[in-house]
Amino acid sequence: MPGLGTSFGRGGATVWVPDLQNADCILIEGSNFAEAHPVAFRFVMKAKERGATIIHVDPRFTRTSAVADIYAPIRSGTDIAFLGGIINYVLANDKIFREYVEAYTNASYIVGEAYKDTDELDGLFSGYNEETRSYDVSTWAFERDEQGVIKKDPTLAHPRSVYQVLKRHFARYTPEMVERTCGTPKEQFLKIAETLAKNSGRERTTAFAYAVGWTQHTAGVQFIRTAAILQTLLGNIGRPGGGIMALRGHANIQGATDIPTLYDLLPGYLPMPSALRDEQTLDAYLKTNTKATGWWANTPTYMISLLKAFYGEHATAENDYGYEYLPQLIGDHSMLPTTFAMKDGAVKGYFVIGQNPGASGQNAELVRAAMERLEWFVNIDSYDNETVSFWRREGADPAKIGTEVFFLPAATVLEKEGTMVQTSRLLQWHDKAVEPAGSSKSDAWYFNWFMKRIKELYADSTDPKDRPILHTTWDYDHDDPHERAKGEPSVLKVLQEINGFNVADRTQVGGFTELKGDGSTACGGWIYSGVCPDARTNRARNRNASGEYTALDWGFAWPANRRTLYNRASADPSGKPWSERKKYVWWDEAKGEWTGVDVPDFPKTKAPSTPADKHAKGMAFHSGADPFIMNVDGVAQLFVPAGLQDAPLPAHYEPLQSVVENPIYAQQSNPLMREWIRRDNAYNKPVDAEYPYVMTTYRVTEMSGIMTRYVPWLAELQPSAFAEIDPELAVSKGIKNGEYVTISTALGEMEARALVSGRMRPLRVNGKKIHQIGIPYNYGSMVAFARGDSVGELIPIAVDPNVSIHESKTLTCNIRAGRRRAHHEGRVDREVPPDERTRMGEPTF
Amino acid sequence: MPNLPPNPDDALMGAASRNGRTEAVVPTYYERPMLKAPHWEWNVVTYLFLGGVMGGLGLIQLLAHPERDDERRLKRTARYTAFILAAANPAILITHLGKPERFLNMMRIVKIKSPMSLGVWGLVFYSGAAGANVVRELAVDGVLPRWMRFVAPGFMAPAQALLGAFTAGYTGVLLSATANPFWGSGKRHIPAASVCSGLASASALASLLSTLEGNHAAVHKLERLEMVAGAAELLVLNDFKRASGEYGKPFFEGKRGERLRTYTVLAGTLAPMALNALGQMVKLPKPIDAVRTTVASVLTLVGGYILRDSLIEAGKASARDPKAAFRQPR
Amino acid sequence: MATGFFTDTTLCIGCKACEVACKQWNELPSDGFEFTGNSYDNTSELSGTTWRHVAFVEQMSVDPEGGLHDRWLMSSDVCKHCTNAGCLEACPTGAIIRNEFGAVFIQPDVCNGCGYCVVSCPFGVVDLIEKFDPEGTHYNLASLSESRLDSKQTAVQQSGGVAGKCTLCYDRQKVGFVPACAKACPTESIQFGDLDELRARAKARVETLTERGVEATLYGADDVGGGIGSLNAFFLLTDRPETYNLPAQPVLPSTRQPAGYTAAAVAAVGLALAGWMIFRNA
Ligand SMILES: Nc1nc2c(c(=O)[nH]1)N[C@H]1C(S)=C(S)[C@@H](COP(=O)(O)OP(=O)(O)OC[C@H]3O[C@@H](n4cnc5c(=O)[nH]c(N)nc54)[C@H](O)[C@@H]3O)O[C@H]1N2
Ligand SMILES: Nc1nc2c(c(=O)[nH]1)N[C@H]1C(S)=C(S)[C@@H](COP(=O)(O)OP(=O)(O)OC[C@H]3O[C@@H](n4cnc5c(=O)[nH]c(N)nc54)[C@H](O)[C@@H]3O)O[C@H]1N2
Ligand code: SF4
Ligand code: SF4
Ligand code: SF4
Ligand code: SF4
Ligand code: SF4
Ligand SMILES: [Mo]
Repeated sequence: MPGLGTSFGRGGATVWVPDLQNADCILIEGSNFAEAHPVAFRFVMKAKERGATIIHVDPRFTRTSAVADIYAPIRSGTDIAFLGGIINYVLANDKIFREYVEAYTNASYIVGEAYKDTDELDGLFSGYNEETRSYDVSTWAFERDEQGVIKKDPTLAHPRSVYQVLKRHFARYTPEMVERTCGTPKEQFLKIAETLAKNSGRERTTAFAYAVGWTQHTAGVQFIRTAAILQTLLGNIGRPGGGIMALRGHANIQGATDIPTLYDLLPGYLPMPSALRDEQTLDAYLKTNTKATGWWANTPTYMISLLKAFYGEHATAENDYGYEYLPQLIGDHSMLPTTFAMKDGAVKGYFVIGQNPGASGQNAELVRAAMERLEWFVNIDSYDNETVSFWRREGADPAKIGTEVFFLPAATVLEKEGTMVQTSRLLQWHDKAVEPAGSSKSDAWYFNWFMKRIKELYADSTDPKDRPILHTTWDYDHDDPHERAKGEPSVLKVLQEINGFNVADRTQVGGFTELKGDGSTACGGWIYSGVCPDARTNRARNRNASGEYTALDWGFAWPANRRTLYNRASADPSGKPWSERKKYVWWDEAKGEWTGVDVPDFPKTKAPSTPADKHAKGMAFHSGADPFIMNVDGVAQLFVPAGLQDAPLPAHYEPLQSVVENPIYAQQSNPLMREWIRRDNAYNKPVDAEYPYVMTTYRVTEMSGIMTRYVPWLAELQPSAFAEIDPELAVSKGIKNGEYVTISTALGEMEARALVSGRMRPLRVNGKKIHQIGIPYNYGSMVAFARGDSVGELIPIAVDPNVSIHESKTLTCNIRAGRRRAHHEGRVDREVPPDERTRMGEPTF
Repeated sequence: MPNLPPNPDDALMGAASRNGRTEAVVPTYYERPMLKAPHWEWNVVTYLFLGGVMGGLGLIQLLAHPERDDERRLKRTARYTAFILAAANPAILITHLGKPERFLNMMRIVKIKSPMSLGVWGLVFYSGAAGANVVRELAVDGVLPRWMRFVAPGFMAPAQALLGAFTAGYTGVLLSATANPFWGSGKRHIPAASVCSGLASASALASLLSTLEGNHAAVHKLERLEMVAGAAELLVLNDFKRASGEYGKPFFEGKRGERLRTYTVLAGTLAPMALNALGQMVKLPKPIDAVRTTVASVLTLVGGYILRDSLIEAGKASARDPKAAFRQPR
Repeated sequence: MATGFFTDTTLCIGCKACEVACKQWNELPSDGFEFTGNSYDNTSELSGTTWRHVAFVEQMSVDPEGGLHDRWLMSSDVCKHCTNAGCLEACPTGAIIRNEFGAVFIQPDVCNGCGYCVVSCPFGVVDLIEKFDPEGTHYNLASLSESRLDSKQTAVQQSGGVAGKCTLCYDRQKVGFVPACAKACPTESIQFGDLDELRARAKARVETLTERGVEATLYGADDVGGGIGSLNAFFLLTDRPETYNLPAQPVLPSTRQPAGYTAAAVAAVGLALAGWMIFRNA
């Protein structure tokens, strides 16, 4: 998310799925698009039918590769090198879309003298502090004149211009280096680079699609940054058939980031107040988080409207709109660090809602062992799973586990109404199809009643610390007497509150531009504003696909029902489409407004000729030719001077557990990644002869998790955990197709059925032959029809510094024919003493 | 496509994954059969076998002349036996179908293109003719009123014979007119062999019963008939082996081929032939001759049954052969 | 109007949505949970209770430079609804009929489980169904509602021992729905519609692919030979039919009947003559 966010201004995918059909070329890398997103993939097939070239770069030849025009194998974890190679190729051969880059990016900005690149520091940037493992990002700042305006060189010739820095930074990423690092044959790499260049520019566009194949790495955010830089250089952002399609995961994962389940965000991507920053009062918070220029100058409006939605009449200017009721961060409270804290006894209670970390989690045994230390555990789920049943897993003794477990049955999606926000940022309402089975209730029911009862319990309290509970508005009772009788809240009312309303007369606001920062409007999530513009309208219900292919009357895409973000960039600086073939949004001189097939992502009547006022605040700072309105400067950031902790420009680092030394820099892996060096989280050493094979994890079409494992029709299609192994490795290890193999890491063992296939192929990396083993992550061993050991048993926790995402795509392992030992025998932290092989220590909490 | 190096472990990747367009070898789909094997067990084998025996008895009851005493007795025995078999066969089919009502579903229609349908109707009409002829016998024997002879007018005897030829022959067509590659490869041979084997078995059964009755004159004739039918069967099978080629392997080769040669050819045809020839040439003492006839008859019957069983089992094997089904015999 | 399928295997992504949609609509049980190791194909074949089967064929070169030639073919197989259908001709009860949509349809309440259609299908499609076990794990618990079972033809099939295969979604077609498998296919690999239109579309598609350098052939759009005629469910293939477990030379079984009856008659007449001589001479 920050990969795209820092580059373009918003964390969301820059395009929407059906627009892929307009692409002339689609690069799918870091995603198994066809298998994990089969329905969306129809638009890739449509593009192919129209003559587009489909490229798939993946460690494995998958069902996506099968229909791609070009497939290239890659060693897992080396995409920065691969894409960096293409960046080098387009820069060195002058294949960039120069007019676009000059007008819409910070290529001309001059980087300060303090900046030192990885090129000079062999893998590190300037400002690195070895002790704190962090960067002083002030060394990455742009050079400014006396008035504070950033210096630029429109000719891009200045040696410290971003363009020249980029050129030098990526110069080492030659085709030979790509082959040496990624194992991708040079000819195939060059073919892809040429194809991308050929299909970009004024007349043609290329789209990129990725998913967790790029994110689940200790440098995951930088993988996406590399793609963002390349797509920007090729002039593909904001244009039809271009952009970067970040494919989201579970059905509502986009919605769960927008109105977030994340610990560090408030709805609409407002940061969660932090005790570690200067944010103790509302003023301080707004000062820290409001950007002087660009759209985020509106932060106070959105924050105050949000507080009004939270606390209603109790939010007044006098009490900072209840700002102090919000909790403040005191560290990394994301899931994985919390799990360690739980294991170490620092967490007493745990809610798990709609997740099965006992199978899908990294270091799954750590997760389950951590739950043994809890006083109580609440699971809201539709099925029995490996998490709620942790106390009866193989090797556990229920008599010795004191955790009190509450299982609350959840209604499934068909048994409740609400919205889902899919990968195109599209909100779609769905009705309830059937009544919940048995005693199950919707998730909203549970939270409605948790809050109602908690409020009841505190009703008489006068203690100021209980005010957040008492002052929270809570009026979601259903209008339908039938639903009300069952205690179901109205999720439509929740959506209406998210849309926002005028406090005085409770009329809905028409969109976020109507919000005010004076407490006269309330809005629960500004980015969705406009979805319920009046009391009777719910645009998430719209189902009219007629007219333009953008189908603006089908659902509601945030923000403001836009499909393609930054679509101002589909026109040239003067407002005319770059080409007739690729016209999308343009300036209508006669009407004096932006028009096109989509909702313009630009102030509607701001003419292209509008000059920038470099001393103004807010949007006036941008000219009529600055398409990236969310960004401070209005342009795409090729170089990110602030906002990312680990690098202003992506550099190839090896994964924490790698089978080779970094071929490009002396710095082996991301210096800022977070590790937990302790016995119950044992890592394989880098380049460890005991664990000579690369292991990667992924999903298969037939399986998702518990929900599919319980369905016999799906279970019969992929009935058990398996491991994909190349024939050469199988022969050398005496592994027979279809039979059991055991895969091991320092952390543990798992068994799976061998699927020996030429789709896995050994690669030559840095002169060494590398075998990769692929294991689907979808299995768990305790319940349902489709079963098998979870690959989470093998994966120690290490995370990316920006978003705390785990590295589960690139690991090392060993493999042998035959079945595993009983779990407790194979497990390192129970019986095997720490030895030199594993990088272990004592608990750190 | 580049040349593939020899694979160290062929089973490893499955043949299909290795055989690209360029290889001359016909690819199979993971060695999986393309066709479905028949679900048929002992009951269908018996049904087919009895169909043949019944058919043969139809001819025998016609051949036996009512004026000659031994043949008169033979005629009666053949008719009674044929009728019992005709009545038993639906029952056996029902054990295969599971429920009695299901047999009735066969009576909904007549389908010329379906040997199974025609066969069932053949069986029904045969039962009718055989029933009428049995009524006649019973009337002649005085069990039933004499006038009831007229239930079966004269043409009923040739009718039963004709229908008999059909019941014996269709059991072969039933197999050969399927998608099964082995059965299909015997589109002429299996029906012809079924007729021959049916008559040989019928003769054997009739001679066995006649021996028990002490009707030695009839046995003498029946054994000659059995020899002719057996010889014809061997000729047909021999030609079948030649004509079926690859398709015939599951039948003629391997364990199944050995069983066929032992039980159907050697013990089931050649041995009884020799015994019967002996009977024709040498006049043995009565008890010994009875043993000879009994042994020869039982051997022929077993051989006939094994022939049907081998046909069914070879059909299953053929259906499981992934390659045979790709090019089906015309 | 005769309707059918044009399955364009070049568009298939092997998602098996067609398999699952078919089982769900027709409330068929699973066939067991067996890992085969044959690529991603754990279904293996069509059966009495599996009416769509996606075949996976890996053609991978061992040579690392061969990446550009590697192929992983996928193809969703189904009953062909043959113009001259072996199963239909063979069925002694008339359970198998050709319905108003030109599809070959088994009426389960008429079928008596003789199994003759099973051996008479040149494509190995139809098979007998074992007894359903609605309580068993193979059955989808979600579809246990009695009332729904009653309205389904599978209600009759529950008792087991009858033949089962694709109905071309007769029940859906009757109310104007597209068959479940075609509806579920995300990439339009399975195209349903009027046969003449489908054939025209298929031929145009072959031309497009040929222009792009793909060797594509149609299987069953025209006469497949052997007396079968064309197939109402036909395929666009990029390799020989055997690769997809389809017969290169299927034959309509009934074409062998004249020869069979003649041979039987010749044998019978010959033996009758011999018998006549034996008995006359005596
Ligand atoms: N059927 C099904 N669909 C799903 C899900 C499911 O469980 N089942 N889950 C949903 C969820 S939650 C998500 S997040 C999405 C995920 O969607 P995807 O990210 O598309 O799915 P994955 O299979 O996890 O991984 C994609 C591919 O990344 C490859 N890969 C691994 N390491 C690397 C690498 O370093 N570089 C590159 N280029 N590729 C690499 C893997 O081989 C795999 O083919 O799918 C969603 N869709
Ligand atoms: N090694 C490895 N590990 C991975 C990944 C990987 O690629 N490799 N991928 C990661 C990714 S991207 C993801 S998203 C996670 C997914 O991991 P999980 O989210 O743990 O996966 P699921 O098994 O889909 O769990 C969903 C749970 O929600 C329940 N559920 C379904 N509907 C409802 C509902 O309406 N209400 C409630 N309360 N519960 C419901 C289901 O029964 C199920 O138990 O796994 C991660 N783990
Ligand atoms: S499971 Fe749902 S989200 Fe996933 S492809 Fe199918 S329809 Fe789309
Ligand atoms: S494919 Fe087989 S089952 Fe289908 S109609 Fe043709 S003969 Fe009948
Ligand atoms: S099993 Fe049923 S459908 Fe098949 S031939 Fe027999 S009666 Fe007809
Ligand atoms: S047409 Fe209907 S019955 Fe036939 S395969 Fe498709 S879904 Fe199944
Ligand atoms: S649904 Fe379509 S794409 Fe998926 S396997 Fe079936 S035919 Fe192929
Ligand atoms: Mo996910």
